Amino acid sequence: MPHIYIDDKLIEAQQNKTIIEVAFENGIDIPHFCWHPELTVAGNCRMCLVEVGMPKKLPNGAISVDSSGKPEISYFPKLQIACATTVAEGMYVRTKSEAAINAQEAVMEFLLINHPLDCPICDEAGQCKLQEYAFNHSKGMSRFIETKNHKPKRQSWGPNVLFDAERCISCSRCIRFAKEIAKQDVLTFVQRGDHVTIELFENKEFDSPYSMNVIEICPVGALTSKDFRFKSRVWDMSFNDSICPGCAKGCNTKLGVRNNEILRIEPRANPYVNKFWMCDYGRLTQYEFVNNNRITDPYIKVDGNHKKVGLDEACSEAANRLKQFNPHQIMFVGSAKATNEDNYILAKFAKHLNTKNLDCLKYIDENFQDNFLRCADKAPNTNGALQVGIKPDLHSVRIEQLSEKIATGDIKAILVMEETFEEYTEIFKNLSELKLLVVLGYNHSNLTSIADIILPASTYAEIEGTFVNTDLRVQHFTPAVVTSENLRFMGMKMSRLDKFGAFNDRWTQHQVRNSRQSWKIIQKIANRLNANWSFRNSHDVFLEITHNIASFKGMNYELLDEFQGLTLGKAEKPDPKVRNYESHYMKPN
Amino acid sequence: MDIIWILLEALIKAVVILNLILLFAAALGVWAERKVSAWIQNRIGPNRVGPFGLLQPFADVFKLFMKEDLIPKAADKTFHRIAPIITLGIAISVYAVIPFADDVKIGDKIYQMGIAPDLNIGILFVLALTSVGVYGITLAGWSSNNKYSLLGGLRSSAQMISYELSMGLALVGVLMIAGSLSLNEIVSKQDVIWRWNVIFQPLGFILFLVSSFAETNRTPFDLPEAEPELVGGYNTEYSGMKFGMFFLAEYANMATSSAIIVLLYFGGWQLPFPADWLGLQQGSIALAVAQFINFMLKIAILVFFFIWVRWTVPRFRYDQLMNLGWKVLLPLALLNVLLTAVGIWLLK
Amino acid sequence: MNIRKNSEAERLSFWEKLYLPEIAKGMGITFRQMFKPKFTRQYPEEVWIPTGSYRGRPVLVNEDDGERCVACGLCSRVCPALAIEVQAAETDRDKERYPEKFEINMLRCIYCGFCEEVCPEEAIVMSKDYDLVFTSQEEAILGKDKLLVHISKLQDRLEFLRQYK
Ligand code: SF4
Ligand code: SF4
Ligand code: SF4
Ligand code: SF4
Ligand code: FES
Repeated sequence: MPHIYIDDKLIEAQQNKTIIEVAFENGIDIPHFCWHPELTVAGNCRMCLVEVGMPKKLPNGAISVDSSGKPEISYFPKLQIACATTVAEGMYVRTKSEAAINAQEAVMEFLLINHPLDCPICDEAGQCKLQEYAFNHSKGMSRFIETKNHKPKRQSWGPNVLFDAERCISCSRCIRFAKEIAKQDVLTFVQRGDHVTIELFENKEFDSPYSMNVIEICPVGALTSKDFRFKSRVWDMSFNDSICPGCAKGCNTKLGVRNNEILRIEPRANPYVNKFWMCDYGRLTQYEFVNNNRITDPYIKVDGNHKKVGLDEACSEAANRLKQFNPHQIMFVGSAKATNEDNYILAKFAKHLNTKNLDCLKYIDENFQDNFLRCADKAPNTNGALQVGIKPDLHSVRIEQLSEKIATGDIKAILVMEETFEEYTEIFKNLSELKLLVVLGYNHSNLTSIADIILPASTYAEIEGTFVNTDLRVQHFTPAVVTSENLRFMGMKMSRLDKFGAFNDRWTQHQVRNSRQSWKIIQKIANRLNANWSFRNSHDVFLEITHNIASFKGMNYELLDEFQGLTLGKAEKPDPKVRNYESHYMKPN
Repeated sequence: MDIIWILLEALIKAVVILNLILLFAAALGVWAERKVSAWIQNRIGPNRVGPFGLLQPFADVFKLFMKEDLIPKAADKTFHRIAPIITLGIAISVYAVIPFADDVKIGDKIYQMGIAPDLNIGILFVLALTSVGVYGITLAGWSSNNKYSLLGGLRSSAQMISYELSMGLALVGVLMIAGSLSLNEIVSKQDVIWRWNVIFQPLGFILFLVSSFAETNRTPFDLPEAEPELVGGYNTEYSGMKFGMFFLAEYANMATSSAIIVLLYFGGWQLPFPADWLGLQQGSIALAVAQFINFMLKIAILVFFFIWVRWTVPRFRYDQLMNLGWKVLLPLALLNVLLTAVGIWLLK
Repeated sequence: MNIRKNSEAERLSFWEKLYLPEIAKGMGITFRQMFKPKFTRQYPEEVWIPTGSYRGRPVLVNEDDGERCVACGLCSRVCPALAIEVQAAETDRDKERYPEKFEINMLRCIYCGFCEEVCPEEAIVMSKDYDLVFTSQEEAILGKDKLLVHISKLQDRLEFLRQYK
């Protein structure tokens, strides 16, 4: 293991690593554009130039020292790029010496020569690496007075990505991503000098299911999202950590929220789940149902019409009507889309009522699967639901039999949690024959239109809870969108405008929805049937899960956060913590 | 029969005089206050309502009538209501004994120009009433149940009691010269300008003037409503027309004080020169009118003086006020009595 | 130090201590003031027209081919009173974006002029409008219809900015 000095700090580096990697792992950031830990080294931006040297050796092989006893270093006359220079025993690196800083400033000046003054119209502004470096590593003025070189703007690269050639700094991150990660080698540089630009191969489109990741890795605003385009400035949004519920992979995400609406979803680094990436499907589909068509109030069906009522009234109604059935006439439908906490409480409720009919819908789609992130199970928490007890036993009604059992009259009442039966038309057809259909849902749907009691459930973006992913990793997430239930908790986590808005500001005319996390609603119903539970928050529920279910033993939210998730049954052996690389982001985040 | 006539006469006089006071003393006073203050501050002052903004006070009163009448929850409702009535009532009642002109003879009947100008204890009546006036303010302060109001009320009573003394003593000089308590008599003694009491009683006049300022709660002695310390003083918790009544009372008081000063020191309704210079007969209506106008003019000048002082002199500190009252004015007033007595004894 | 030395009583001369002569002097001054020329402006009849340096209501500069604003949101970000709301949208023009919605809540605005200072396009400037009257809170939120002012009417301010900004 070579020992090297970076800025006079002695570091024990791993063999064959580059200077920039070693520095990064030890908390020293060397400015860079083209280097990315998951991509091959291109070494073409020259931003990472550092001074590299070796101690002077005397003819006898000893290290020559100066009068104060320090070794004399002979630095190479030419600076080296930190991203492509592997470390060697005894190497000295200076990242902040005058020569290095001059080099950085020169590179910045060079990059900015033809860079347009686009920040006001650029979606990247506010989280732009070029802006950040222009502020931190640049002289702050330009000597270039000639006309800038113009290139075509607004070029479409595919269904989701837009390319602005002027803003590109030719770091080639996107080209390498397409080739190495997305495995769709359709991009290449053309021309040379200041005319260099990127083009697609003829008749090709960059339409990989992971194409939008280039938007984040692009250090500038050359690549932007068609979906998000101009929706909001980054500083007007709040970014809160979440988990993508699009499939069982459980990619870690950040939700950009303004006006209490999710405007965009970005990947968040987790070396053990999704590295730095997520798929376009997750980004583009997992906010629509949070923003629109929400059930905001409880409803009870009276004479065929839904009547808006208070939550207490709706829960009492549900409890009173559930009481009228035999336990074996009731079926509980849990959800692979709901958290462990919700499913656990549902299972507990079923037990309290002595009914064994407990199952959930599955969303298996082999076509969705690929060998990178996407997996066949399109629900985020199927494993978790099973773990916490949403499974039928030998004698109970399972979901496959439901349709038939309703027809025969064996099942008379169903409580559905966070499901719509949209893809289960067979079952849906028979649901109208039920005596009682209680639905906890996010959105108005065909199911809610035939429901007897509708209760407003919060979506994944509004609650605190845990999912278990396809690799049995338990991951914790917290709310990003405000509901009347989590308003206090959200507090400073809201976006600036949402935080400070008053009743007479138009921008805050957002809905603060009166929805509840499912387990809270179920606890309310259960307590009306003498359950006497007193869980105050998701922590309490999760604590009970860790006590009662062996595979969760030893976990708690703090540990889950600290290690970015723990594997079921292996709480004592977490994966090692590493420093997560973030290329550039909104600061302060 | 006679008694009815006398009552009717008194009633008519009362209505006329009341209107006179309210219109002139209060309304015009408010207008003058705003105009003069504006001039002193190089502004123009009210000029939108009516000619020269003369109708401004009426607009103000109209506004006050429109305002919500608030009574604080913790206030003593009865006294809270009564207080402004006392204050304004007393301020107006003083006019009962003020003579506006010489008696007029129509046919063989003699009409007195005033409600009861010949009251033989006229000046005592005035002093008595002004002392009762302090109840209005003190009650207002106390019944509002607000610390600022209470402090304002207390200050007011303390101040009035202190200055009542020097005021009364300053008067004694005039009374000694006139030898009567009847206002009409005091006035008739000062028939020409060189027989005005102010000539014989310069010190007494200054003492009386200063005390009047204190009695009417005008700057520099407006401590009961000192805004920087007491919000609004005793009337903090008043709104609408009840506040308006305090407001009007202040101006009515100012007019009363001016009238008294004129009567005591500036010859009252007496013209500054012998009446026959104008060729007018004693007891004729024309003379009465001339005297009346003369009297009003003198009052107006004094009211102007009150206002002028208010916009010139800053407010005293409370301890300064008390020092001045007890340590300066009171001894001087005593000295004045002594000097007058000596003077009269020597001249005899 | 003898603190009494500095008391009011020690500093004043006999005549000053008497108060009255000093008061008379003061009254002389105020009396003279009454006849000096007045400063009052008869406002609604005599309108005051401010100079270019005046910071009245912020407005958007409208050129012949449309507004200058590109909806960058910097004014909204810098506004200390959070008075501005901007929503961008795409346009076919060269500048790519324009404000689909631009609203200033005049009940929030404190006329600080930060929005003008930060604007990279010189698209929002302080006008000379100072008599703003609203009868409801909604009315006080000015939209693009009220904010857009043709550039020809803003020459004074633009000239001022050119010289002193
Ligand atoms: S890429 Fe960055 S520096 Fe360039 S215009 Fe966009 S925000 Fe500005
Ligand atoms: S588009 Fe972005 S990522 Fe691609 S080369 Fe240009 S700057 Fe780099
Ligand atoms: S700063 Fe200027 S260009 Fe940007 S949104 Fe405001 S007015 Fe428009
Ligand atoms: S003048 Fe100041 S307060 Fe008003 S909109 Fe502009 S930045 Fe906001
Ligand atoms: S980061 Fe090393 S050359 Fe770009």
